Amino acid sequence: MKNSLLTFLLVAFTTLTSFVYQDTEGDRLIGVWEPSNGRARVKVEKIGSKYYGKIVWLKEPTDPVTKQAKIDKNNPDPALQNIPLKGYRNLKDFVYSGKNEWNEGTIYDPLNGSTYSCTIKMKDKNTLEIRGYIGVSALGRTDIWKRLEVKPKS
Amino acid sequence: MLFIFKGTQKCLLLLLLLFGGLKNTQAQTDTATKTATPQSAEEEDFSQYDNIGFSEAGAKRFCSPKIEGLSPQKLIGLGFDFQASHNMDLDSFNSNLLSGNAHTYAINNASGIRFNCNIPVISKTNIVWQLGANYWETKYNRADEGPSLPFFPNPVANALINNGLRTLGLNTTIFKPLNETNFILFQGSTDLNGDYDWNLMPMKYLKYSAAVIYGKRPSERKQWGLGLSRTYRVGELNYIPILMFNYTDAKNKWGTEILFPARAHVRRTINPRNMLFAGYELEGQSYRLYRDNYLRNEDLEIRRGEIRLRLVYECSIKEFLWLSIQAGYRINYRYNVDRLENGNEILRAFGILSKEAYVMNNKLSNPLYFNISLNLVSP
Repeated sequence: MKNSLLTFLLVAFTTLTSFVYQDTEGDRLIGVWEPSNGRARVKVEKIGSKYYGKIVWLKEPTDPVTKQAKIDKNNPDPALQNIPLKGYRNLKDFVYSGKNEWNEGTIYDPLNGSTYSCTIKMKDKNTLEIRGYIGVSALGRTDIWKRLEVKPKS
Repeated sequence: MLFIFKGTQKCLLLLLLLFGGLKNTQAQTDTATKTATPQSAEEEDFSQYDNIGFSEAGAKRFCSPKIEGLSPQKLIGLGFDFQASHNMDLDSFNSNLLSGNAHTYAINNASGIRFNCNIPVISKTNIVWQLGANYWETKYNRADEGPSLPFFPNPVANALINNGLRTLGLNTTIFKPLNETNFILFQGSTDLNGDYDWNLMPMKYLKYSAAVIYGKRPSERKQWGLGLSRTYRVGELNYIPILMFNYTDAKNKWGTEILFPARAHVRRTINPRNMLFAGYELEGQSYRLYRDNYLRNEDLEIRRGEIRLRLVYECSIKEFLWLSIQAGYRINYRYNVDRLENGNEILRAFGILSKEAYVMNNKLSNPLYFNISLNLVSP
């Protein structure tokens, strides 16, 4: 009986700590990141148990034709074409799967209005490998994102 | 004791339920307040992201291989190329063992499949490396001329018309950004060209082409570069300077995609999923006449170079699957036959380095052509 109780306690403790540890580990993705082209900055945050990224900075924030803030004019859904790009969620639904990887998410490219399957791998605490792909991972492209240092507001 | 155990078990179960419940409640609350819609709901002061630097000391920014508005890069493409009826005006051929009269052959059409693939191997901020493969074929479908054929049919004509021409190649592209504006681009390829069948040819007949460009990317919409290439695009080996100029206007309506002299196009972007191009491509290769035993010993190669003036329409038919249709005029630049000197190619450099005569001076008339392909495009 004692053994059963100990086993039960051990399993319960391991399960609980693994949940907490996984959560903490996954949260390392939270922060502000810059893709290799330097055209935008993306803030990753956690909503529920998933991770999302939104555009918070654009190198060229103004549309050269309309002289207004850039909007998502290439979105295939006409209802979404007037949404400002600043604040746009271009990374969606990422789940931490362990071993420094976040899966099951998508990445949206506002330049052509396409959404790709995506995996994120953390190479070190300041570097991400973001792989957008079509169907299978081999048919894709990897981009390197670097973490940016945001100073806390005084 | 039993009571204690039962109590502990209940407590643990309660704790587990509580933790799980809390976790779910938290998730629901977060999801309810911060819906994951395209636009984030909360107001945020975006100015705090204006002047921030990398967390990692020494991290650098590098320029991207692409500019805004360029046509999407094709990962895998399968197409069909068709040249309408034209004449193949072949010179007489004489050697110690073989000879044939000059004759103009009527060709109903010249057509074949074209397969290309180009897969990124390394894609990092400071280097991009891609590997590709291609297979192109041209099959000549001769019009039935009956008794008008020459008394001594030309063996080269027989080889071309019976066997067709094929290209099987591997290529690589390396993009090396030096900083935020300057870059070096290297392209290399090796091709097996000839009238071979499934038995291919020995690797000693491989042809090597390469190009290196030093370029600048002064803005998100402009990229240019200068370089040098070793090429067979004019049909025979040449070393020629190259100019790269990719540009997209502010409205993303007009642009250019130029790698002169290989190709130059003006681009009209209807929207990012529909594009129209007008321009030309210079195509060419040296093809070994290999399948016929006698011709093989003659060390002969066809120097095929052509200019394709064309209109191209490219569109997305379903997400990442793009259709490309091109139609235009195929202008023959060269279709001569050369004999290798001790296995070595003659480097004429447009007649500057050598004025060595060709074995056969052939001419093709210029037909209309079209090409259709389905392509999987890159993210």
